[in-house]
Amino acid sequence: MTVDIASDLTEIEKDALAEIANLGVSRAANSLRQMLGEQVFLTVPNVQIVGRQAASDLIGRGSRSPRFVAVQQSFDGPFAGKALLIFPEEQSLELVRTIVGEQHSLEDVIDLEQEALAETGNVILNACLATIANLLRRTMNMSLPAVIRGSGEALFGETAGNDNLVLFLYINFRTKERDIHGFIALLMDLPSITALKTIVTDYIRVIESGADQPRP
Amino acid sequence: MFNWESILDAIDAGVIVIDERRNIAAWNDWLEKASGRSASSVRGRNLFEVFDSSKLTRLQSAVADAFQFGSSSVLTHSLNTLLPLRDEVGQNLIHNVVVRPLYAEQITHCVLQITDVTVWVTRERVLRDRQNARYHAIVDSAPDAIITTSGDGTIQWFNAVAGRVFGLTTGDLRDQKLGALLTSQDSLTDIISAGDTEGAIFKSVAQLHGTKRDGTAADFDVSFAAWNADGRRFVTTIWRDVTERVAAEQALQLAQEALRKSNEELEQRVIERTNERELILRQLHESQKMETIGQLTGGVAHDFNNLLAVILGSLSLLRKGLPSDPRTSRLLDGAIQGAERGATLTKRLLAFARRQDLKLEAVEVQKLIPEMQDFLSQTIGPAISIILDIPVDIPPVKIDANQLELALMNLAVNSRDAMPNGGTLTISCRAESIDSSRLSPSLSAGDYIRVSLTDTGEGMSDETLSKATEPFFTTKGVGKGTGLGLSMVHGLTAQCGGAMTVASRVGRGTTVTLWLPTASAGELMASLSPQPPPPPLHKGRQLRILLVDDDFLVRANTALMMSDLGHVVVEASSATSALEALKQDTQIELVMTDYLMPGMNGIDLANAIRTRDPNLPIILTTGYAEIRPPSDLSFPRLPKPYTQDQLADIIDSVVKS
Repeated sequence: MTVDIASDLTEIEKDALAEIANLGVSRAANSLRQMLGEQVFLTVPNVQIVGRQAASDLIGRGSRSPRFVAVQQSFDGPFAGKALLIFPEEQSLELVRTIVGEQHSLEDVIDLEQEALAETGNVILNACLATIANLLRRTMNMSLPAVIRGSGEALFGETAGNDNLVLFLYINFRTKERDIHGFIALLMDLPSITALKTIVTDYIRVIESGADQPRP
Repeated sequence: MFNWESILDAIDAGVIVIDERRNIAAWNDWLEKASGRSASSVRGRNLFEVFDSSKLTRLQSAVADAFQFGSSSVLTHSLNTLLPLRDEVGQNLIHNVVVRPLYAEQITHCVLQITDVTVWVTRERVLRDRQNARYHAIVDSAPDAIITTSGDGTIQWFNAVAGRVFGLTTGDLRDQKLGALLTSQDSLTDIISAGDTEGAIFKSVAQLHGTKRDGTAADFDVSFAAWNADGRRFVTTIWRDVTERVAAEQALQLAQEALRKSNEELEQRVIERTNERELILRQLHESQKMETIGQLTGGVAHDFNNLLAVILGSLSLLRKGLPSDPRTSRLLDGAIQGAERGATLTKRLLAFARRQDLKLEAVEVQKLIPEMQDFLSQTIGPAISIILDIPVDIPPVKIDANQLELALMNLAVNSRDAMPNGGTLTISCRAESIDSSRLSPSLSAGDYIRVSLTDTGEGMSDETLSKATEPFFTTKGVGKGTGLGLSMVHGLTAQCGGAMTVASRVGRGTTVTLWLPTASAGELMASLSPQPPPPPLHKGRQLRILLVDDDFLVRANTALMMSDLGHVVVEASSATSALEALKQDTQIELVMTDYLMPGMNGIDLANAIRTRDPNLPIILTTGYAEIRPPSDLSFPRLPKPYTQDQLADIIDSVVKS
């Protein structure tokens, strides 16, 4: 079923979703630059809709560490679900160091890890969700971020509840000195996915009809 | 009616409610205290006018997102500069801010919740400091140097001991590589420098020897542990200085080595000394054997000599007394020749037994040997060339010149016989000193001339060599040699205080070496003084002679020869009876006495006579050379056996002087 749904996304839809996601993360990058005074490049090179198990497998692929750290926020509104920003646990400190800057000692980074991770995840996830909300010209009820740690199964299992599908986005997080690969996962139920697809379809139609409108 | 705003004042956190225009709608008690501004003074005012907006861009966008999209945001102290809040004693409040939209139909308000995390952060810091203090207490009190490097070998941190051991100061840390601390041949240092932390060596302790930056050599046991933090690789190295231990081990090893060598040397010396002892014992045994043979030979030769003297004397008298008859004369001549050959043989035996009558004088071998060369060449034939190697300044030796010539002749003949197909005979002389370190049973310390005769002949086997100096041992076959040649030479050298050695290898040749003592200065002078001319014969004068000899046959024979010469002979068979006779007969003009007699010997008798009458001439007769200097210088001597002519000559010379 997962595969079917995923394959339901046409190439155009996938491109459109990736574009929407990139809009979101570039908005996040802008926020981070304001916070940090340093340019942070965030890109989403690929988008997939998969089942939970497949999502769990996808994050485990190519990672030596079986454990992950995730910033999770739930959202409610036109569609509902949970958004997760996921990194391999071994890269968590790396990410924090990237954010707080090199001037901090390792000990400081360890002290700041939890808060900094939560805030960074909050910024990125807010930006992505805000972008979707913006496209819908609606507001969504978004929760505060929580930092969770665990295996892929744990992230996509217990916390996922009844939400069966995952909009799975690869995210590259790059500064002058570092290059960190993570994932953004939006866990949603079928109606929410359908609503999302509607948003995507509308987005495509708007772009196609308003050809004079510059592509983002 | 319940005042809901009192709830806000009851909350132990800052609460600000703003409307869409960012105007403050609520400001609770907590904020009044923390900001120092009362609710009444800020209510209705724009939040970003109340606080300096230039530093709050993130808060501004968070607020905007909350109104526009319904976003909830967290702003932490770790990533943001937030509100200027202070606690009751004026310290900065460390705080986080949460921005949440308030939902009704629309988002009309937004709430900012400010949480004081000062206590939490402070606790973290205190804990961390404590933990660090404990950690540093452990690593700084560790007896070993502990150094942490990044994956590329750059030093990140080191403990106090490492600072002392390697002379590191914290100022050194920038770009300081671990490998620079120790210069070593060991490839391990390269690996450390290169930061190759993947190698299997990091699982174990390695021993390193090298030179520290201050130039001192040091040994370390180094253990490695690689670890990851913050996505980076680190290596902690623990260096235990084992320089003293290694030095002690090396010293111990050296000591053991020395002990082992010493043991080996000791064993070697025991073996050498045992061998030396065995050699000396063999030599002693050999010399004792030769001594015994010599005594035996000497005794036998002495008696034979006496008998030969009798025979020769009788025969010579008989020839005088018998009418001239060719047949009788031929028989007598044959008998005399036989007896003379017997006399020669006994002389050689006595020479071997070191009892020949030696006339020791200083002899210059650099003259004597070249003078012999022609004669030697004739004797050994033209097939053998003679090479002389004699330094002209070599000191003289103390020996009987005639006997030395005879010895050299004997040895040359031996060499000739060893070289039937010709060859070379080398005669070399060298001065040598024997000190106490080279003593042998046959040589005492002193200065010697080493006279060596080396031939290129067939040589001798060890077995032959061991018997070469024994009398009557000959390799020349029956009738070809007496077997007394080497024995004689051996006896001669021994008698004059030297020695003879023979070295030989089959097929390579033989070297006979004579060790002859050098003559002292006094002996040299004596020999240089001109020899007195032989006294003329004074035949015809009749003398009254006292003849003393315990051997009846010899005495009778000599008495006959004396009577035949016209002398009157008074006979005595012992020294005692001789002295008695001298008392009775005051007409005695000459005393001739045998040396070896029971009771008082010839020398004692002669001395006794000389004390009574210093002018009475005395002749000693002897078959032995047992009369030791200076006794032999005091009285003229006549060696046995002697002919009537020899008897007449000595009587004449004594009476004349």
